[in-house]
Parts: sequence; structure tokens; C-alpha cells
Amino acid sequence: MKILKIYKVITVITGVLLFSACAQEDQLTESQLDYSVPVKTDLDKWLDASFLDPYNIKVYYSWNQNLVDNSRYLFPPTIDKVQPALEVVKTIWIDSYTKIGGSDFVKKIAPREFVLVGGVNRNSTGTITLGLAEGGQRVSLFQVDYLNRSSRADVTEFIHTIQHEYVHILNQTKPFDVQAWAKLTPSGYTSSWYVEEIADSRELGFITSYARLNVMEDFAETASIILTSSKAEYDAILASVTDPVGKANIKKKEAIVVQYYKDAFNIDFYALRDEAQKNTDAVIND
Amino acid sequence: MKVKNIYKYLIIAFAAIVLGACTNTDVDQKFDQTPTERLNARKTELNDLLLSSQEGWKAVYYTDSTQLGGFTHIFKFLPDGKVDMASDFDDDTKLHRSQYEIQTGSTVSLVFTTANKIHLLSDSNNSPTASLVGKGYLGDFQFFYYGQENGEIIFRTNRNGHEVRFVKATAQDLTDLAEGETMIQNITGTPTSPLFRLVEINDGSSIEQFEFNYNPDARFGVATSLLPGSNESHNLALSFTPTGAVVKPAIKVKGQKLSNFVYDETTTNFVATGTGGVTATIKFTNTPPSLTDDYKLLLPGRASLAFGYYPGDYIEESPTNSQLFYEEFAKINAMLPAGQSISSIQLYTNHSLGNFIYYTFVGRGAIFHFVDIIEDAAGKKIILKHKSWSGNTTAPAPAFLASFDSHLVDPNGLYVKKENFKLVYSNTVYTLTSSSSPFRMSVWLL
Repeated sequence: MKILKIYKVITVITGVLLFSACAQEDQLTESQLDYSVPVKTDLDKWLDASFLDPYNIKVYYSWNQNLVDNSRYLFPPTIDKVQPALEVVKTIWIDSYTKIGGSDFVKKIAPREFVLVGGVNRNSTGTITLGLAEGGQRVSLFQVDYLNRSSRADVTEFIHTIQHEYVHILNQTKPFDVQAWAKLTPSGYTSSWYVEEIADSRELGFITSYARLNVMEDFAETASIILTSSKAEYDAILASVTDPVGKANIKKKEAIVVQYYKDAFNIDFYALRDEAQKNTDAVIND
Repeated sequence: MKVKNIYKYLIIAFAAIVLGACTNTDVDQKFDQTPTERLNARKTELNDLLLSSQEGWKAVYYTDSTQLGGFTHIFKFLPDGKVDMASDFDDDTKLHRSQYEIQTGSTVSLVFTTANKIHLLSDSNNSPTASLVGKGYLGDFQFFYYGQENGEIIFRTNRNGHEVRFVKATAQDLTDLAEGETMIQNITGTPTSPLFRLVEINDGSSIEQFEFNYNPDARFGVATSLLPGSNESHNLALSFTPTGAVVKPAIKVKGQKLSNFVYDETTTNFVATGTGGVTATIKFTNTPPSLTDDYKLLLPGRASLAFGYYPGDYIEESPTNSQLFYEEFAKINAMLPAGQSISSIQLYTNHSLGNFIYYTFVGRGAIFHFVDIIEDAAGKKIILKHKSWSGNTTAPAPAFLASFDSHLVDPNGLYVKKENFKLVYSNTVYTLTSSSSPFRMSVWLL
């Protein structure tokens, strides 16, 4: 036999032996991991029925250190405070967008997770963080334990966080005219926005001081402040601005927001504002 | 590559696999269970343990005994992840229900997953000292399970690894919690309690005094020796019992460790007693622990000086103003007719008109209270002795001023202290302290 043939035979034989060697395997037994579903409380069932099933939004209220910044001294909400706070979210945010944008609007575009925190997120510098959004996927809401549903100021501040973060998510789905926006008040942006007085920022053409962080925040603040104010309240903000250029720039930004909602989502922004206000009144008077 | 070579390499590769397959990779098992089985067993063990105590578990939680005291908690674990909890953090010592979970991460941990009393220690918005802003009481509510010892469950906190021990609770513990609140009130004091605290250590033959700078919110204080030249000090982190306070770390006197302070109703002192006459006492006093000679500036024969207090200005926020002072001040305004209020309290010494307290008002004329200034050299204080109200020696004190003024003309005298802080303006701040009541007010040197 030629040497090549010998090699061939050896290779085939060992190949067959090797592959057949694995024919006998221990069968897998049952997993040792505990994957039993925890007992669902009435609250869990309500959350599933109100957020998870219809909108694919998972709400975390019980503590999970992986969802929260562990270097912060935060704590989970009190159980009794969870549903009232989320009813506010449902009524003012989801229901308003659903009515004006269509029943599937929030189902298609929404953060996938809400993380609820009971306490105030105070920074060591003394400032307070009201909400956080990570990659448009997870929104963290603070101060759930302190939300007083009959206080308009409380409800507005709480819902402002969601409206603001949701505008970011909409922007990530369809961009707005960043170029046009950036030309309006290019010199007013600053990373030290938190030392600026809100009245001074408005004179410069910004709806809030936080809007001065960058163009994206400016857009989200402009849209969310209009959504969380009644027409009269917003007019009062405009009336308080004495600088004509500043006032004109706020109005130009408002026009871009209105146009964006129309072009990108076919939503009448003012109708959305009115619906949100109507629902806010309903929550406060409930 | 030639076909022959390909086969060559294949044979070598197969040979390597076959030979390698015979290597025994089985290591001697240290445990007869897999890591997952062990974690699961640990989880069950902890949960069973927590549920096993009829009256629940008690834990005195020191979040950081180098700057904060201890907070006593009682946990009653119930099936289905429910827990009833009480603590002595505030005067609500009743049980409240919330949820808990045994979670597996790097190890097995007990997590109180919805808000209850223990979370009050982890509220970034409520800190007992300025250095803890944003950090609350440094509290944690995720505890890693480290096993058992003498029937106690040993945990370590998630954030900073401090040990927390759960001890089996008795039915009595819950009542004790409420009674401990009285002790907290006793050491915190009321607006009428003396302003200063002392720690006195008696080693059986002599007594050493320490100024005790105690923060009731933090349940922590530092006792600094009053002996000239001594820099001895004790950090005292307090937790409370129905009979008194437990101090951590224990005070060492002559080889004895004193940590159990018992409240004495008659003297309002907290006393820890050892053997051989050794004691440590926490007491209130109206006498400032360290006295100065600053009072001499006001004595007759000195230069003319003027001091003033102005409501609504920065002097109002001086931390040296006492609660009793604010209450007495508010009383003046409450008794004045509508439209009138007090606008300043001034003290003039060695003035061409004499020595006088000068009260000015909105809506009415100023009032002079002329006094003589008498030295109490032994007590290192001054006595403002009444002469006349605006020159009339027989007129009584105006009704709305009588109570406030009585503290300044305290026959037992006033301590005077030049402060080393300023309140925005460049004026020096002086503090006048009554020697027989917790009345203390700061004034600017004008």
C-alpha cells in the first residue's frame, strides 16, 4: 500500500472512532436554578394589566440594586404609593398621547422600563435629580413617596420628568431639525446651567435653565414645559420675558416643536397640550 | 500543501485529541454539592431562620459608629415575603408592613425591597450633619448573609461591609422600643433644659470633666477633656434602651469598660457605674464648660461699647441663639398691639448716659432700661442690676418686655463670650448666656 493510502485509512478509522466516542452522554437533569414565578400581589397584577400587557412597559418598584446607582442613598417606594403615582403617569402621559396620537402610539414608542424610587435623589452638592433616562429604554422616577396628587405643583413636577424623557425618546425615533434650532440661541448654552437664574435664562431665549445644557435638552425642555403648562400659564411665562429677542426665540423654538410633532407623528401639539391639561385637572380633582 | 501532508497533520491532530482525552480533569471535590446547590441551600436556610423566631429579630444598627449612633430595629418576618418592622428612629415605634426578598448575587442577601422604617437611614434628603449631605444616615437595607453564631444571625451591609447582628427578639422588645423614646427625649432635652452637656469621669479618687458636644440627630458626640493641656477625647455613639443609653465604644476607666448608662430621674443625669467608685456621668449644665475673660470688656471704667441684635438680619440665624431666646423674643411681638413689633435689642456700656439696654420698635418709641454693671469675678460673669425704666425708678417693666428682660437682668449673672465666627458682616459677634436658664443670644459689636 502506498503511504498516502495508509494515511487515508488511519484517518478515516480514527475519525469514526472519535466521533462515535461521544454517542453516549449523560442526559441533562432538571435545572438547579430556581426559576419558579414569585407570587404576584394585587399590585403586580395591576401593573401587568395596566403597563406590561398593553404597552410592554415593565415597572420596577421593589428594590434591585442593579437598577439604581448604588453609591446614592436612595430607597424603594412604599407599596401604597406605587399605584397612585402610576395612575398619574397613565392618565396624564399615556392617555393623552393615546387620545391625540392614536391607540397604538405609546405601544410603539415608549421606554421599556420604569424604575420607581421612593425618596429624593439629593446630590452632595445640594442639587436634586428629579428623573433619569438611560438610552431611551429605562426611566427612573424619584420622590414617588412624596407625590401629593391633589397638589398641581407636585403632579406637574412629577409628570414633567416623564414628558421630558419621552420627548428624548421621540427624538431618537425621528430627529428634529437640529441645525435650525442650533442657529437660534447658539451662545446661551452652558454646562454650568444650574447656577443660572430661570428668569435670566428666559431673557436669553431658553424656557428653563436646564434647557441651556445643549440643543437636545433645550428641545425636550421647551416641549415638556409647554405640555405641563396650561395655555394661560405658558402665556404668562412669555409675558414675563422683557427682552424682545429672547421672547422671539422662545416662540421660534415653540414653532419648531409644533412643526416636528406635525411632520414626524401627525400630532396637533396644542391639542396634545390641552388633553394633558384636561387629564391633569382630572387627576388633581380626583 | 500536498495531500500527504494534510493527512499527516490530521493524524497528529487526532492523536493529540485521543491522548488529551485521557487526561483526568476531575478535581477532588471540596464540597459534595455544586455551587448552585450550596447557594440554594443557603437561601432556604436563611429564609427558614428568619421565619423561625416567633417574635422576630432585633438589631441595633450602627451605620458608622465613628460618626453616628445606633438605631434599634425589630423585624418580624412573615410568609410570602412580608415583613413587619418597627424602629426607634422617630417617635413612631409601631410595626409597619412591607416586603423582603432573599436575593442571590455574589452571595445570599436579605433585602428589604419596599420602603419601611429601616429605609429612613438611607434617605439622601435627610442627613444629621453637614458632612453627610446627600448621604442620609449612611444606612443600608441589603444585608449579606455571613452565617450564625450563638443563635445570632450575622450580616454585613452591602455598601460598606459593616457587621449587623440580628438577635432573637422577645415580646418585651417592642414595648422597650417605645420606652427608649423617652430616653432619647431625656438626652435631647427641651427648650428649658440647660444648654451645655458634660461628661464626668470618676476613677474612684478624682473626677475629670469633659465638654460633651452632642448631636441628638446623629446620636453621636465627642467628649473633650477640660483639663488644661489635655487633648484626651472620647467618641460616643449612643443607642437607647428603656432605662438609658448604651455607648459605643465603651469608656475605659482604670481597666474597666463603661458602656451602660442608666438614666437618673432626679438628677436627669445618665450614669454608668463600675466597681470601686468608678463612674461616668453625662449631665446637663447651665455653666459653659470653658469660661473666658471676655466679660471684663463691659465692666465700669472700660471704653464705651454698643452691642445689637436685629431681627431679620444675619444675627437672627446665629447657631448660638437658643430656643428659649427665640421663644421669649416671639412673646414680645405677640403681646404688642397690631402694627407694632420689636426692631432691635441693644446694649450700651459706659455710655455718657450710663449703662442701658435699649429696645427699639416699629410703630412705637424706644425704651431704655438703665442698669448698673457688677462684676462676678469668681463666676467670670457680669450682673446687669436694674436701675430704672427710661429714667423712672418706680415704674415696673413694660408687660410685653418683662419676661424677655428678666433673663438679661438675671441676678445670678450673664456669661459673655467673644465668638470666633462672623455673620456675613465684619462685626465681631458676642454671645450673652444666662447663668440660670438656657437663654442665650448673640449680638454684634456695633
